[in-house]
Amino acid sequence: MDNFEYIDDYFKNAPTDLQRQQFEQRITNDKGFAEEVAFYISAKSVIKNQSQAETKERFREIYQQQKVILITRPHKNTIWKYLAAASVIGIISVITWFLSVDKTSPQQLADQYIQQNFKTLGVTMGSQDSLQKGLGLFNNGNLKASLNQFENILATDSANDIAKKYAGIVSLQLKDYDKAIYYFTSLENQAGLYSNPGKFYHAVTLLARNKTGDEDEAKELLKQVAEKSLQGSEDAAKWLKKM
Amino acid sequence: MNHTNEKTVLGDHEIIWGLLQNDSDKRKSEEQLFSRYAYLIKEGMIKYSLAEDDAFDAYSDTILQAIDNIKRGTFEQRASLKTYLYRIFYNKCVDLIRKKTTNKGSVHQTAPIVDMLNMIADSAKTVIQQLIERTDMDLLKSTINNLGENCRKILSLFGEGYNDKEIATAMEYKTSDVVKTSRLRCLEKLRQEYLNKKK
Repeated sequence: MDNFEYIDDYFKNAPTDLQRQQFEQRITNDKGFAEEVAFYISAKSVIKNQSQAETKERFREIYQQQKVILITRPHKNTIWKYLAAASVIGIISVITWFLSVDKTSPQQLADQYIQQNFKTLGVTMGSQDSLQKGLGLFNNGNLKASLNQFENILATDSANDIAKKYAGIVSLQLKDYDKAIYYFTSLENQAGLYSNPGKFYHAVTLLARNKTGDEDEAKELLKQVAEKSLQGSEDAAKWLKKM
Repeated sequence: MNHTNEKTVLGDHEIIWGLLQNDSDKRKSEEQLFSRYAYLIKEGMIKYSLAEDDAFDAYSDTILQAIDNIKRGTFEQRASLKTYLYRIFYNKCVDLIRKKTTNKGSVHQTAPIVDMLNMIADSAKTVIQQLIERTDMDLLKSTINNLGENCRKILSLFGEGYNDKEIATAMEYKTSDVVKTSRLRCLEKLRQEYLNKKK
């Protein structure tokens, strides 16, 4: 019971570094204690899974009973139909205008790129658990926790280029452009990488931020990416033509 | 309030508030949330060519994960619930498709295990991971089901993420300290019974 209380307190409160160290030492040195920790975690997990399975069964019953109603998208009232129709006309006009002038702003190019490439991040086979956890958090929408995870990795391994890249991407999604630029600059200056997207991502971030001077600086970076055939060179060449 | 055929449309804040309440309000809000966006099941079948059962699973898991995140305070409300759910649902569908195409029955550790393991430093984590892998989860499950009603209830609320104060309110205990003592006793009892059965 005493051990369970200690374990319970550890997982319920954010432990300090010293508490983490002491907890880790006890696990390593005391097999009985380690078994109690493993049991605590397993029990909590089984209980939670059971509770979720029950909730899922309730959902299944609701779904089976009212399937036809539930899977039909809710209808809006008439005014919304008119508004929707007006919006469609508006969108078509805007698209037509865009096509006719064939010009997309640099910021839009960057936004489109971010939408298409950074919406979800693929979990790489064989990558470290800690990186996978960060990617999992990102893909589940927990951006701050994801950034925190990558920054924790960098705190102990400052040369980890993958963590740097992801820390930059998450910062970009959080619209913390200064932080994103910090990570991408650090990545682009890292020597010895087979493929380095740092410079291109740096340019994307500048275009997304769109402060005075950002576009010029981004153009310069894109030129370097295209000329030196760095990662992102194809997109860089296309964008330069449009800018 | 019924969960479907409902004329009154609740806003995100009302649903989130309901999910954070006690048993009956929480159940209603869970069901309202499930019903509101259940049309995504059909989208899963059409857009991602999933079988109905798979689309249902992806959608149910989406709702369960969203509820969990809301309770843990990790849903930051930067987007609407609909957008947030759609994002999780999309990822679940993609995961399902990947699993099918690679045909891998991966050993998957559930979220609470992963969360708690991440609070342990790497060297000790491996020791705990190995011990967890040796745990007979089916036996543990059946041992939980054979506990007395009170213990089952208190542990169930604990597993769902309620704190001792909330459990005290839901189960009419005098104080959260009493809940903590009872909860840890139940956990100890569960462990003893599990070990006895395992021998």
